[in-house]
Amino acid sequence: MTLRRCIALTRAGITESLQFRLGTAVTLFGNLIYLVLVYFLWKSIYASSGVEVVNGMSFTDTMIYLILATALFNFLEMFIVWDMSRSIQSGKIILDLLKPMKYKRYMFWSYSGSHVVLFLLSFLPTFVVVMIVTHGAIPMGLNLLYFVISTVLALIVNFNIEMSVATICLYTESTWGINIVKETIVLLLSGASIPLAFFPETFRKIVQFLPFRAVYDIPLTVLLRKNGSDTPRGLLTLLGLQLGWAVVLTILSTLFWNHSVKKITVNGG
Amino acid sequence: MGRTEKRRRRGLKFYLSIYRKILVQDLKSKMSYRADFVISTFGMIMVNLSGFITFMILFKNFPTINGWDYYHMLFLYGFSLVALTPVQCFFDNNWSLRYAVESGDFIKYCFRPINVFFYFISEVFDVKGLGQLAFGIGTLVFAWSHIGIPVTFMAIVKLIVFLFTASLFMIAIMNAAAATCFWIRGSGYVMVIMFRFKDFAKYPTNIFSGIFRILFTFIIPIAFVAYYPSLILLEPDNIPVLTYLSPLIGLLFFFLSYKFWLLGVKRYDFTGS
Amino acid sequence: MSDQIIVMNNVCKDFKVLNRHEGLKGSIRDLFSRDYKVVSAVKDVSLSINRGEIIGYLGPNGAGKSTTIKMMTGVLEPTSGEIIVNGTVPYKDRTRNCENIGVVFGQRSQLWWSLPLVESFKLLRDIYLVDKKDYDDMMELYRSLVDIEPILNKPVRQMSLGQRTLSDILAAFLHNPATVFLDEPTIGLDVSMKAKIRELILGLNKEKKTTVILTTHDMGDVDALCKRVVIIDKGEKIYDNDISHLKSYFGSYRTLRLKLADDTWEEMVIDESKTDIMEIITKKQKEQRIKDIELQDISTEEVIKKIYEGGAA
Repeated sequence: MTLRRCIALTRAGITESLQFRLGTAVTLFGNLIYLVLVYFLWKSIYASSGVEVVNGMSFTDTMIYLILATALFNFLEMFIVWDMSRSIQSGKIILDLLKPMKYKRYMFWSYSGSHVVLFLLSFLPTFVVVMIVTHGAIPMGLNLLYFVISTVLALIVNFNIEMSVATICLYTESTWGINIVKETIVLLLSGASIPLAFFPETFRKIVQFLPFRAVYDIPLTVLLRKNGSDTPRGLLTLLGLQLGWAVVLTILSTLFWNHSVKKITVNGG
Repeated sequence: MGRTEKRRRRGLKFYLSIYRKILVQDLKSKMSYRADFVISTFGMIMVNLSGFITFMILFKNFPTINGWDYYHMLFLYGFSLVALTPVQCFFDNNWSLRYAVESGDFIKYCFRPINVFFYFISEVFDVKGLGQLAFGIGTLVFAWSHIGIPVTFMAIVKLIVFLFTASLFMIAIMNAAAATCFWIRGSGYVMVIMFRFKDFAKYPTNIFSGIFRILFTFIIPIAFVAYYPSLILLEPDNIPVLTYLSPLIGLLFFFLSYKFWLLGVKRYDFTGS
Repeated sequence: MSDQIIVMNNVCKDFKVLNRHEGLKGSIRDLFSRDYKVVSAVKDVSLSINRGEIIGYLGPNGAGKSTTIKMMTGVLEPTSGEIIVNGTVPYKDRTRNCENIGVVFGQRSQLWWSLPLVESFKLLRDIYLVDKKDYDDMMELYRSLVDIEPILNKPVRQMSLGQRTLSDILAAFLHNPATVFLDEPTIGLDVSMKAKIRELILGLNKEKKTTVILTTHDMGDVDALCKRVVIIDKGEKIYDNDISHLKSYFGSYRTLRLKLADDTWEEMVIDESKTDIMEIITKKQKEQRIKDIELQDISTEEVIKKIYEGGAA
């Protein structure tokens, strides 16, 4: 029963995403231009440095990493903070809370539709193009499977970060501020804007212990077989780390949400 | 005829005075939402800090980019931050355009006897953009003193004129990006990606080659957001023609984006309601 | 100067819409489809409105009311036909037309959300270039009609819906426009607020001779405010006359109430032009004893309901 509901939400999400037909085309095109910018920048960066490999990353590695990070970003991006603040301001949140489904679960599955569409329309084409252009620089093997597992875990971690931040909206109207702080921190510390490999030693050590790298860095590291992920032990460490964060954040965000909703409904009357 | 006389009085002076009044009232009311102000300012500082950290990390690994050293790059960076302030402070309401259009609320801007673009844009002044301005000026001054550009009256005038010029380009880009929502449903992504393009404004445009150089100079003019205008100070012996032309090109881009925006209003059929 | 303030001659408005297909497969097909169809929202409507009138502009949802209003305010261009408002063609000179109109759109406030009402008023005064004296006179008039002191210094975002509607109506009249368009002004308001708003509109109309075009689904508004009613359905004008004629125009309807033997009342709406009331009573009397008879005039609400349901001839 619940599963059928979840699938129904996913389907509705897919249909809705496709309604914006021109929007979809523009999205693809915009991404392409963005990738061109990334390509030129790093090409000239590597050209001026005079060395092939910097911090264990060659130009090709960096490119693949950044392009796929962008593709992952487009695919994982959620607007829960905005959705939530809008529905709080319009009072729609009450209706959402009354739905015969836990609010968090409802949110997760309504987004799953657009995730599916974006994965097929945005991530997959990018992946294929990168594969062709780099002539097989992406290792092809079991790492693809691990990558998919890792991406699903990343999705859960990301969703829970979003959800925790969105919960703050129940306390303040300053949506823009909250959202931008979240976005900046996630993008910087997850390695989406610059690969974590380039970070200074101490900084990198700190980042290792934060949940953000579970969103972009770990899936890409696993895919590119970097950082020891080509050994079973290294792989298990990375996936285990992600799983750990997924569990911890799910618990935390659920607790935070339940606590806040209780408080709000008591206050709001 | 009293009416035609009235119409003539709505010139630049009229609009400036209306804008000033809205601004003053808006600031007053913002003061009463202190928490929001603090959080937003904190957010803005985080954005700039993160940008700066990214920049530093990049330079730790790669000391020069296409012959540009650290301080010259820093100058470009500061220049771009200052040039991006007007779009942030004065044109922030473009981000709400999509919602206004899709919900049908946009129609309310068409019932006043003043310019629709002005009326819409004047509604929001974004104070937190000033944090970015401070950050940009600091960086600019720091880089300026290290490069050793002589501080003369003319140099300051040039800086101000060309900063103003540079700001027009990002305004134009965002106007045009926002206006796409009149034609395309779900076009929010156009703005998001255009806004992300601005991060590349702080790199020298000679990193691009061929058709892409033309694309980023004349179609999506991020080359003008910092690179070309800043050359007036950075390379006084070798100023390209495009640098001299940039004020004109800037005005042209702004004008075109404004016309495009208004064209969207005309075309839009307000079926959202 | 002519007394006609709005003239519409054979106005039509078509929209081009994409034919959307249902379901998942349909939306994939829509990605590439160029399958458009033309929908006529307004078909050949002619109308003339005089200065100082309050017109009820009625019709079921999707009948083309909003489209007409949008054309009169200059937001939309008619596909064909001619509209003249106050001597200007609204679409060609939107700005000039706006000088002379005021608009209230139901639940969408047009005031500056975070500003106190009085500051919004001052901004509007500057935007419409209203003289200080005219502004003060208008505020004086407002004070005599409603109690505005408690809301003057309140930001719009903190107002109740009723206060917001009130503010929006006051703002629409502030520059003393020749015509004011009110779209669902009393929607969602409680009974006493509705009465207050209606009183205010009547008062302003009387004092300033402002033409008011009222679109509403609330027949209470129509009964309280309008002498003349225009009804539009599926884009076509189907009625344009006094409200008093409305009840007889679509047949002379009356409600017949019969008290039956078991003390219950039976109600029926009867078109007297087609059916003889006596005949019904006689027929009924043959079946059972009738204790009492009442004959009531039908309410506007019921007439309109009949028309919307397609009862109109």
